[in-house]
Amino acid sequence: MSLLELRNIYKIYGELHALDDVSLKVEKGEWVSIMGPSGSGKSTMMNIIGCMDKPSKGEVLLDGVDISKESSRNLTTIRRDKIGLIFQQFHLVNYLTAVENVMLAQYYHSIPDEKEALEALDRVGLADRAKHLPSQLSGGEQQRVCVARALINYPEIILADEPTGNLDEANEEIVVDLFHKLHNEGTTLIVVTHDPEVAEVAQRTLVLRSGRLAKEIVNKNFTGKIHFDEGDAFRKEEIHE
Amino acid sequence: MFGRMIRGTLLRQWKKMLMIAFTIALGASLASAMLSVMLDVEDKVNQELKTYGANITVVPKSASVLNDIYEVEGGETTGAYLREDELGKIKTIFWAFNIVDYAPFVNVKGTLEDGTDVSVVGSWFNHHMELPTGEELDAGIASLRSWWEIESGEWLDEQSNENAQIAMIGTSLAQKLGVSVGDTLHIKGSASDGDFHITGIFDAGGDEDDQIFVPLNTAQALANLDGCIDSIEVSALTTPENELAIKVAQDPSSVTVSQYELWYCTAYASSICYQIQEVITDSVASPVRQVADSEGAILEKTKLLMILITILSLIGAALGICNLVTASVMERSSEIGLMKAIGAQNGAISGLVLTEIFITAIFGGVIGFFAGFGFAQIIGQTVFNSAITLKPMVIPIVSILVVLVTLAGSIPAIRMLLRLRPAEVLHGGR
Amino acid sequence: MKKRQMYLRMITASLMRRRSRMLVALLSIAIGATILSGLVTIYYDVPRQMGAQFRNYGANMIFTASDEEMSLDDVHQSANMIPSDDLIGMTPYRYENIRIRERPIVVAGTDMESIKLTSPYWRIQGDYPATSEQILIGANVAESFRLKVGDMLTVSYTPEGAVATDEETVLDNMIDFEITGILDTGGSEEDYVYVSLEDLETLTENKGSIDVAELSVQANSDELAGYADKINDSGLPVLAKLVKRVTASETTVLSKLQALVLLVTVVVLALTMICVATTMTAVVAERRKEIGLRKAIGASDSSIIKEFIGESMLLGGLGGIFGSVLGFIFAQQVSIHVFSSSITFQPLLIPITILVSVLVTGLSSLMPIRSATEVDPALVLKGE
Repeated sequence: MSLLELRNIYKIYGELHALDDVSLKVEKGEWVSIMGPSGSGKSTMMNIIGCMDKPSKGEVLLDGVDISKESSRNLTTIRRDKIGLIFQQFHLVNYLTAVENVMLAQYYHSIPDEKEALEALDRVGLADRAKHLPSQLSGGEQQRVCVARALINYPEIILADEPTGNLDEANEEIVVDLFHKLHNEGTTLIVVTHDPEVAEVAQRTLVLRSGRLAKEIVNKNFTGKIHFDEGDAFRKEEIHE
Repeated sequence: MFGRMIRGTLLRQWKKMLMIAFTIALGASLASAMLSVMLDVEDKVNQELKTYGANITVVPKSASVLNDIYEVEGGETTGAYLREDELGKIKTIFWAFNIVDYAPFVNVKGTLEDGTDVSVVGSWFNHHMELPTGEELDAGIASLRSWWEIESGEWLDEQSNENAQIAMIGTSLAQKLGVSVGDTLHIKGSASDGDFHITGIFDAGGDEDDQIFVPLNTAQALANLDGCIDSIEVSALTTPENELAIKVAQDPSSVTVSQYELWYCTAYASSICYQIQEVITDSVASPVRQVADSEGAILEKTKLLMILITILSLIGAALGICNLVTASVMERSSEIGLMKAIGAQNGAISGLVLTEIFITAIFGGVIGFFAGFGFAQIIGQTVFNSAITLKPMVIPIVSILVVLVTLAGSIPAIRMLLRLRPAEVLHGGR
Repeated sequence: MKKRQMYLRMITASLMRRRSRMLVALLSIAIGATILSGLVTIYYDVPRQMGAQFRNYGANMIFTASDEEMSLDDVHQSANMIPSDDLIGMTPYRYENIRIRERPIVVAGTDMESIKLTSPYWRIQGDYPATSEQILIGANVAESFRLKVGDMLTVSYTPEGAVATDEETVLDNMIDFEITGILDTGGSEEDYVYVSLEDLETLTENKGSIDVAELSVQANSDELAGYADKINDSGLPVLAKLVKRVTASETTVLSKLQALVLLVTVVVLALTMICVATTMTAVVAERRKEIGLRKAIGASDSSIIKEFIGESMLLGGLGGIFGSVLGFIFAQQVSIHVFSSSITFQPLLIPITILVSVLVTGLSSLMPIRSATEVDPALVLKGE
């Protein structure tokens, strides 16, 4: 059984088909990138996977349970227990320190544990910045706090929305390295991005166009950081449906 | 473009702007309500204090020296009287408008059929006057003796009973004589006699409970004192006396001409007394200290109390508005950052934000002013049963307050936002 | 770490680290609470303070002899039936006919110190008599005898039963008084002269009886009537009566004044509370994005509401504490400036003020928080 399965998902806003019959499976421990130009439906898909939105039609199976019909209250619980979110804009609570921001996720999930939160910060290399407020951290550091916050509750899936969108190259590298580390530890990663350099390091890249899954590229040589040339190094897989 | 941007903000952010306008309206209404009440409270309380009765008495000049002293010997009259035909002149003095009520009195001795001596007082009850100014006034003891309790019957109505032989009698005398409303008393005066129909019995809680009150002309007829009166009681709205008033009252020659004029043109009890003496021949008018001084003290305290309460609410209103304006300007940090990013000068941004806030403030201020005046009316009607007059000075005070407070609320916030670097605002993730 | 600890840590962090914003809100709540506690204190104290002002009108109760003669002891005994806190002053008067330069004049024997309390409106040119053989004369008396302060005045009294002989004046008791003051009241008091009871006793050579006693009592007319009934039922030869002119009018005016302060308090409070509410709305509205974020990382609506309400209630509590202290200081200042006396402290008002400001801030932030939690986290987090 796949960890996450989308079955014939539609999301329709009036005339606009943001998602048009999309199906997709993500296995446990997989690292998947979702690419596509603006307006291709990336964000809509990300919101549906992240339990922040519901599809107009179709099923979303998370751990074998259909969550597409759940109330928004239950969705909150599911999101809290199973999904760690990373945003382009970081979104830290600006009056809480780095460690407190991490603890916030623990607080809503179960019980806050400062030691564990500090360990999480240590994993993203920010142990010495734990007592700093977001305004005292650089963009990269803020994003690493977000990563620490996302993984603190051992979620089934870490869902990152343009995690490097606001970062310079050096910080981008640090964050991508972190993803590698997480992947090696067995975390399921779904990264929404339009940066090919970020997408290419994943095991699999799904390309969305006008709300449809245009193609799926599997990185056969997936080991770590490798050069990437679309079409050549990748084998075109059969597109579902 | 400027106008278009402002219009854009006002139309698109109308919810936020409405909230600012609402708060400013609240503050302005609070300010204008309190100011209106405060500025009118002296007049209103002054009116209320009229229930204490006359604060000025007028007696004939010679009587003021000799009256009681000779009365001890049993002498009934001193021969000095005021003239009834001059009564109307009291309403022609400089402070005529402040004369709320007055009544003449004439005391005569009467003898009843069984030989008891009674004191008969002639006065106005609800005397109707048409003044040369076109004003109409119902003056007399019906309002000057508001504390009288009518035990049975009703107030003597002299307007509908002209020249009738009617009387009101004090409760102790009525008990002593065993008479009640509807009975007739035969009173013999020194000159004539008559049958008086009793219309009411009153309880005054004082010496008057042993007296009989009859209309002025009938009392005069009893003692053949046509056109003569013993005293006049005047109820006037006065300004609390200060140093100057006391000084002038003691010795008018001790002050400068301008001080004298100031005194004459202020409604002090002493200057009103002086003006009454000018129009009533051979009279001495003096303030009834018990009423005049107490009135002054109470008026002053009430006014001071209201001023302090008003100041507190003005500060409250000012800080409230200030607060919200600051909060709402701060909220627009990203917008201001964006404007800076696309090259707007600080001046232009401040101008834009200030103009928007001011349009909102004027809108809110005008609504608030009228709402506040409404509140003042509610207070006036509930407490004093009369409307609060709108003092013109409320308008500039409230406008200045609104402008100052809005400026004070927005400028520091705008300055703070202008100091921010656009990148921070746009990327700070806040 | 316990959940509650984290909860408190978050709330205090929000208050401490967003200091400038929170100060703005705190200020507005504190002002609201100040106005609440200040005005309510004044409202409760107005009848007392204003009542004291109304005592300027002088006596509102008088004692006269009922059937038999009334002695000074009777008067004091009766006056003692009125609680001493309410009794401002009691002045006994004993009237006798005396002669000054062979003209008959009424003299009143009285207690000069208590006159200042029961007739505060008396205006004296000079001073009240302080020792024996000093006299206060009415303005009319002064005018007709052309007397001034500092003059000596011989007062003569013919004892009762004294038979006029050939040299009649010899039988009169005579005392020389020094005039210390001239009385101006605008009333009949100006025709009398005033000496101390002891001097009058010496002059008349008998203890005599009190004709009338004036009392100034700080009480409303119902309480006054109660005191009068109690005294009249006591069996003492004293008849207590209310001075209707003063009591009736005082009730009218005082009730209007209190109604005025009440209405003003209500209007000011209502407007202030709305002001606090709009401020809280603004404070919450500012944080929609944060609410969206908390939802995204798994906060339930109820826990967000709990946190924000907790925060605003903490703010309300702080504001209430400041406000009740400031309000008391304000009321105290008003009292000192207006009435030159300190205000009665209402201890109950402190918890009430704090409670009300906690409730008002809590309730006024509840609505905007509720609407903020309905927001779609995805929308808030995406849109910049």
